[in-house]
Amino acid sequence: AQADDDAYALTHPTNMVDFGALYSSQSSAKFGEYNGLNEEGFYGLGGFDVRGGKGYDSANSALRWKLNGTNLGTTSRNLGASISEQGKWKINLGYDELQHNITDTYQTPFQEDRGGNNFTLPANFGKPAGTVLTNTNNLGASRLNAFHTEKEYTTRRNSSLGTSYTFGEQLSAQIDYNHLEQSGAKLIGTGAQGGINLAGTSTGKAEAVNILFNPTSYSTDNITAALNWKGEKAHLSGGYYGSIFHDDYNSLSWQNGVASAASTCTGSGCFTNNTMSTAPSNSLHQANLSGGYDFSSATKLVGGFSYGYNTQNSSFAPTLIPQASGIASSMMWGSGYPSSLNGVVETTHGDLKLTNQSIKDLTLSAGFKFNERDNSTDSSIYRYKAINDANAAIQTAVPVTNYTGINTPYSNRKTQYEVAAAYRLTNAQNLRLAYEREDIKRWCNGVIGGAQCISSPTSEEDKVGLTYRLKVFNDVNFNAGYSYAKRNAHFDHNFLANDGNRSITSVGGSHSVLNGADLIGFVAYPYANRNQNLGKAGINWQLTQKIDFGVNGNYKYDDYDAMLGVQNGHSAGVSVDAAYNYEENSSVSAYWSWQNGKRNLRNGTGPSNTTANVSNIGIWTNQLEDNSNTVGLLTRNGGLLGGKLEVIGDFSYALDSSAYSTQVPYLSTCSAATTLSCGNVSPIKNELISLKLTGNYKVHKNGKVALAYIYQKLNSNDYFYNGQQYGYTPSTLVPTNLQPQDYTVNVVALSYSLAF
Amino acid sequence: AENTAAPVKAPTAKPSDSLNKDSACTKCHDENESKPILAIAQTAHGNKADSRTPSCQSCHGESEKHMSNKTVAPDVIFGLKKGAFSPNEAKDQNTACLTCHDKDQKRTHWQGGAHQVADVACTSCHVTHTAHDKVRDKQTQPEVCFTCHKDQRAQVKKFSHHPIGEGKVACADCHNPHGSAGPKMLVKNTVTETCYTCHAEKRGPLLWEHQPVTEDCTNCHTPHGSNITPLLKSRAPFLCQECHDGPHASRSPVAESAEGIQGGATSASANTTGRACMNCHSMVHGSNDPAGALLHR
Repeated sequence: AQADDDAYALTHPTNMVDFGALYSSQSSAKFGEYNGLNEEGFYGLGGFDVRGGKGYDSANSALRWKLNGTNLGTTSRNLGASISEQGKWKINLGYDELQHNITDTYQTPFQEDRGGNNFTLPANFGKPAGTVLTNTNNLGASRLNAFHTEKEYTTRRNSSLGTSYTFGEQLSAQIDYNHLEQSGAKLIGTGAQGGINLAGTSTGKAEAVNILFNPTSYSTDNITAALNWKGEKAHLSGGYYGSIFHDDYNSLSWQNGVASAASTCTGSGCFTNNTMSTAPSNSLHQANLSGGYDFSSATKLVGGFSYGYNTQNSSFAPTLIPQASGIASSMMWGSGYPSSLNGVVETTHGDLKLTNQSIKDLTLSAGFKFNERDNSTDSSIYRYKAINDANAAIQTAVPVTNYTGINTPYSNRKTQYEVAAAYRLTNAQNLRLAYEREDIKRWCNGVIGGAQCISSPTSEEDKVGLTYRLKVFNDVNFNAGYSYAKRNAHFDHNFLANDGNRSITSVGGSHSVLNGADLIGFVAYPYANRNQNLGKAGINWQLTQKIDFGVNGNYKYDDYDAMLGVQNGHSAGVSVDAAYNYEENSSVSAYWSWQNGKRNLRNGTGPSNTTANVSNIGIWTNQLEDNSNTVGLLTRNGGLLGGKLEVIGDFSYALDSSAYSTQVPYLSTCSAATTLSCGNVSPIKNELISLKLTGNYKVHKNGKVALAYIYQKLNSNDYFYNGQQYGYTPSTLVPTNLQPQDYTVNVVALSYSLAF
Repeated sequence: AENTAAPVKAPTAKPSDSLNKDSACTKCHDENESKPILAIAQTAHGNKADSRTPSCQSCHGESEKHMSNKTVAPDVIFGLKKGAFSPNEAKDQNTACLTCHDKDQKRTHWQGGAHQVADVACTSCHVTHTAHDKVRDKQTQPEVCFTCHKDQRAQVKKFSHHPIGEGKVACADCHNPHGSAGPKMLVKNTVTETCYTCHAEKRGPLLWEHQPVTEDCTNCHTPHGSNITPLLKSRAPFLCQECHDGPHASRSPVAESAEGIQGGATSASANTTGRACMNCHSMVHGSNDPAGALLHR
């Protein structure tokens, strides 16, 4: 009877429901970033997993169903349900919620709530005029009183419905629908686009920065439909993928807290109004085809093709901006501008791969891939003004400060070829040699004036790779690999780009700027010639049936051929792992990972004119070095107290640092407090200590009590927050008083789970 | 010695017949097995009413010698570690699985894919004789992938990360471990296409595009984790200076000036402190404002 019970327990699902409570000792947006435990206090715990159906017992019915839920007491909850007649049809439902807590220390004088898009200052904030703002940004008591704390977070609610149906042994269909609802906001900077006067000054400044809540009032509907056929020698799948993104807003409006109002405006609550765009609604419709054909058991061909049609025609943000003076600022000058982009991007993908294993121990493969992004959006001239231009009120008037921009719809095409041969040298040794070729072409369709909009119109990269695997003994596996890649990028220093108030209307035109306004000789690293060397090796050893040990490492070095720009960089990593499974339900495992990366940059300063070259500029250099150490220890001790108690311990320690260093040899006073343009920046350091201890005690055959303790501590040292503090912000920026996100949180959780 | 038996035969046309033979196996491999193999009945491989359901011998081979002599290994031993018998080579183990699972949209690119050429076995990730296959559960999938991808195991613990350790994003949300036509075994054909499945607000097309954004999100972002929020390879202004050496601030060297007054400067500049370039050029993913050519608005 006992044997029957044991066999039944193994062959039938165990349903489970658990509930309990949790206490978190500290409010911290960072600790609760993704787990929903961002507030100090008690949380309910709840979860369930219930399964059933005749499909577990009967040879005549394949019906099985499942209901499950996790983290029901937090904003990270998840619910799921599915039912299927296996081999015939299936329906599944899902709901997943995630509140991304970003910060709870943001302070702002603006009155709009999180999620809104019109940010106004209280009337008593006072017209910021009359006195020059000092570099300590002394806003004064009346303005400081208007600051209040707002929590920055976004919430994702993901609902899904999936169905599949099998028509027979060869034909099946499936449809998956997913609706993602997003709310909340993320902080964003808001520059004034030049020419704006700071309070008390007459100097036009590009920066008059208010950090605002950019609403994420989004919804995205994704649908995937596919019809799949498989035969004796071939299979084919045809499908549709649609993604419809909707933003409830098309713009963000705000009153500027550091800019002087229009001269015609008097009285309190008289501010310069401004706007910016938000993410535009857009859609993608994509047709997909993929499949394969077996010429023989040794020779197989697989491939796929996709065509996507991506459009965006959301209304532009308002360009006529009402001012408190009653006179609206017109951002545009001239007329005939469209009200929306009518943007169209077509994406095309194709791939083929042939594999052959006709020759004993030899596997050959040849592949081809093609990806194109063809942006056929119209290119037009957009002339616009500074927000408080003297002629801002008159759209037809030529502004004092004017900007002429021409949009350059970027297109690119990537073609890749690969041939590889894998040979089994012996039962214990494998060798693989591969060659890859990648060609990239970039262009812009129909740019007004016909100027070159791309710095690197074409590039080719050749890559060879060799990997070797050796089974030293049955219990020791060694692997090593090396690859070398050479990218040859054709760089066009005559490319022109929107730069300040210059135009790319015509090559050599009065406002044209060579090399995209960068110094001649500067090359952005994604578009520079590059040699890349990559090596990796690892050994994994099963000492006994209970003990495993492994060491793995990798190193990559990139060398760029650029007079100015990123010169070179490397990344390296080493991991050591050990595990000891000393009993059936008891084990201890530990690991250590070290990672290091470095990037060397060489840039120039000096004359900002179109004929600048590296011979008459000062050279400065900058290095970024990243270091990371991570340690983990996991223990599981089961079978305690006569098999009633299981204790699990999970400890991890992570220390990451990112350090910048700058050298400016041409400046003898670069370290003067007025500039501080050379020297070392305080490293950005984050140290995370995490410990979780869990005890599971079986109170009776089907009942278990779990007691868990979590300790997590974050030590963060980051200069990012310096310029946000009252009294320390730039004179052109409204403070947010954002604080570093250090925390020390203790969590105790008690739950009971019932199996039935 | 390693088990190098010939590839197994395909399941019989009528699995129900072959399933009846399972009793020959479960006579010995019963509920008292240290590994509870009977739990396979709770999985899709144990649904007897499904005509495709395999028998023990569908996957482990006829194993005739083993049936008569328990000291001889079955035709196919799955897994990675040596137990009573040594496991078969990965390709032989995979042959048994691919007998049924090869002609499948999600496995079209298995042959010649990164995992196949590295001799990864299906059982390197999947456990079939259990009700809970960790790699098919969003909450537990990463720990399976991290047994090999150790750099990523460390990266997801960095200050800025996707909620992978928290069980809200799984590796398979972005990667197809069975092979794909995209780079890095991504589920879509390109990096940007993959990212847009969750970040469609970046898709546009936008009036004022930022070229590297239209080509590859990883020009600036590192998806598994970073010391610099949000998942950035570097921080402005240094990040921007890797590609810009032109107008105003992008041409100026920056050091402690990035730390503002607390760093010892006599004044703080909006060009170098806090969000630096992105205090003003905040629309780095592109702008759809007619007056936003410089990605200000």
